Amino acid sequence: MLFKDQVDFVRQHLKKNRLRVFTTILATTMGCAFLIVLASIGFGLQGSMERGILTDQTVTEIEVYGDPQKKIDVDAIRKMDNVRAVVEKTNAQLSANVKFEERTNSVPVNMTDFDNEEKIGSKLSEGRLPQNSDEIVVGYHFAENLLSKAELKEQEKLYEESAENDTTSTKQAKKLGYKESLVGKTISVKLQDYDNDKAINKELTFKVVGVSEKPAKDWLIKNTILFSHELKGEFYNIYKASVKDSKNIKAEKDMFYPEIKVHATNLEAVKGVIAKLKDKGLSVYSVTEQLDDINVIFLAFKVGLIFVGTIAVLIASIGIFNTMTMAVTERTREIGVMKAIGASPKLIQRLFLMESAWIGILGTAIAIVISYGISFLSNWLLPIIIDMATDSKQFQEADIVFSHIPWQLILVASAISIGVALLSGWRPARKATKIDVIQALRQEL
Amino acid sequence: MIEIKNVSHTFAIGKKGKEKKVPVLKDLSFGIARGEIVSIVGKSGSGKSTLLNTIAGFMAPEQGSIVVNGQETASMNEVTHAQFRLENFGFIFQNFQLMPGLTALENVELPLKIKGIPSAKRKVKVKELLQQVGLENVSDHYPNELSGGQQQRVSIARALVTNPPILLADEPTGSLDSETEQDILLLIQSLNKALNLTFVIITHDEEVANIAHRKFRMHDGELVKEVL
Ligand SMILES: Nc1ncnc2c1ncn2[C@@H]1O[C@H](COP(=O)(O)OP(=O)(O)OP(=O)(O)O)[C@@H](O)[C@H]1O
Ligand SMILES: [Mg+2]
Repeated sequence: MLFKDQVDFVRQHLKKNRLRVFTTILATTMGCAFLIVLASIGFGLQGSMERGILTDQTVTEIEVYGDPQKKIDVDAIRKMDNVRAVVEKTNAQLSANVKFEERTNSVPVNMTDFDNEEKIGSKLSEGRLPQNSDEIVVGYHFAENLLSKAELKEQEKLYEESAENDTTSTKQAKKLGYKESLVGKTISVKLQDYDNDKAINKELTFKVVGVSEKPAKDWLIKNTILFSHELKGEFYNIYKASVKDSKNIKAEKDMFYPEIKVHATNLEAVKGVIAKLKDKGLSVYSVTEQLDDINVIFLAFKVGLIFVGTIAVLIASIGIFNTMTMAVTERTREIGVMKAIGASPKLIQRLFLMESAWIGILGTAIAIVISYGISFLSNWLLPIIIDMATDSKQFQEADIVFSHIPWQLILVASAISIGVALLSGWRPARKATKIDVIQALRQEL
Repeated sequence: MIEIKNVSHTFAIGKKGKEKKVPVLKDLSFGIARGEIVSIVGKSGSGKSTLLNTIAGFMAPEQGSIVVNGQETASMNEVTHAQFRLENFGFIFQNFQLMPGLTALENVELPLKIKGIPSAKRKVKVKELLQQVGLENVSDHYPNELSGGQQQRVSIARALVTNPPILLADEPTGSLDSETEQDILLLIQSLNKALNLTFVIITHDEEVANIAHRKFRMHDGELVKEVL
């Protein structure tokens, strides 16, 4: 039988039992749509979470920790393949007490190799990177924390009020701090040992040449100063000279903690670089590792959802099984005639399998369309509904995707539901091939 | 054309475990030549249909060989036999066995569809046959819109459409009144003459049986030739 005639044959039979076929397709559609929508929640939430992580932090950045007693061979790391740059920042156990005009600010001392910063293309919101050790870069929030005496009092009052009102998100009613650009200004700095409550009396002066970039996360306050790492020795000497009891002097390696960040050339290279760093016996932290963990958890979650959804498809398959069994029973005589005339059992089986496949395919196709509709609606309406219930605007602003349907999910769901349709049509189709011609022809019209 | 040798068949009748063995075909041997009309008469339950069913391949006899058109069919598997039937046999049934969902034209077309003949070729052949059986003006009627005689003509057209050399008919006039019966018998005779078709006709009607070139009587599973 030509394929076109087979299709015609199947279509004719489906038309004859329109209502029965329709309800069976409906059940298949519901099962399959349930499967897709359920699993799409897994994909949607995973995507939202991934995006949250990736936009907050630099993806190609790998933090490296070594044995504190040994110096990490930064040059060796720098020479590794796929490493764009290595930034070695130093956090000193010192704070810098800043004085500028009548304003003061106290910030941790961070040091870095500015040549390297240049190389990795560190961005500033204003100014340029320092070219010698007299020049510094201040954090994005440095200026607004540079307060006069009156402002300090006002800030204290504000804190108290916000503590009473218990509203943590209360913003400063009036922007405090220095409002003009600090670039080109000279500030004076007194160092202070963390363990000491008094600043060291030696006053240093630095020229502000740049202001760092605005941090990615809104809540991150960057109230810092970046000094050149060439000042390490000088700062240590100032500290050493200020300590009276020589027994209490901290060793230099206890005073400065290295913070090494390796920048891989691109996201794909991160994995390889991490592996090589681990081979060197270093501990690493990278967002991508966090992503890997999340991906494993979400994989399990998605498999679970697909499993639950498949149960719905299986329930729908009972409908297909019943419909096809009835179709075979009803058509026993006709199948007998077909076989008598010379239709091979294989052809009979194929015709019935095509019928259940058609139910599966149509049900799945409709389910895909409906699922996209539900997915779209839920992404649009759910945030609005949740925000209405909680009386806020958080969800609408957060750009959270609840449901996402990637093509892989469509593929898996289609395979499952069409596969299940074929499986449930299999036995009725077999039954059709087993029909005895003599018995079938004896049936009354 | 058809060579039957030592064909025997026994049915097991009744409940499982307590079944009775009933021999229905007892060591039958006979031959049918090309272009011959052979009729088989006999009492009800004598085994006429069983014999025809073994020739048709609807069932395999327990013993014996059936050679049709030079091919041994008794041992063929289902798939091969289906193909063999499509090529060699046309069937005419007592109750016509038309597809209720198909028009007269589509019913006649069905064997050609199964055979995989393209639509254009089919249409020509079907038209020609409907004309031959005198049904060209009711070709788009459904079976329940046709008289018994018309339905049997449709079924004869369907049997002929693949140009088989042999037609097997089990009580072809069993559901028809005597006038219509005459029409069908005349049609059978003219087809036999025009196309040199071989007919095997099972009937309990002596008048039908007498159009045959040879007539057999089935009696308790045995076949006896009768003089016409
Ligand atoms: N499938 C079967 N199982 C068991 N016994 C059967 C079967 N088919 C037929 N028989 C028995 O075989 C015998 C012959 O049946 P068959 O149908 O060949 O008779 P027949 O000559 O065609 O009769 P009729 O003229 O009434 O059509 C009967 O006794 C019947 O009971
Ligand atoms: Mg009979």
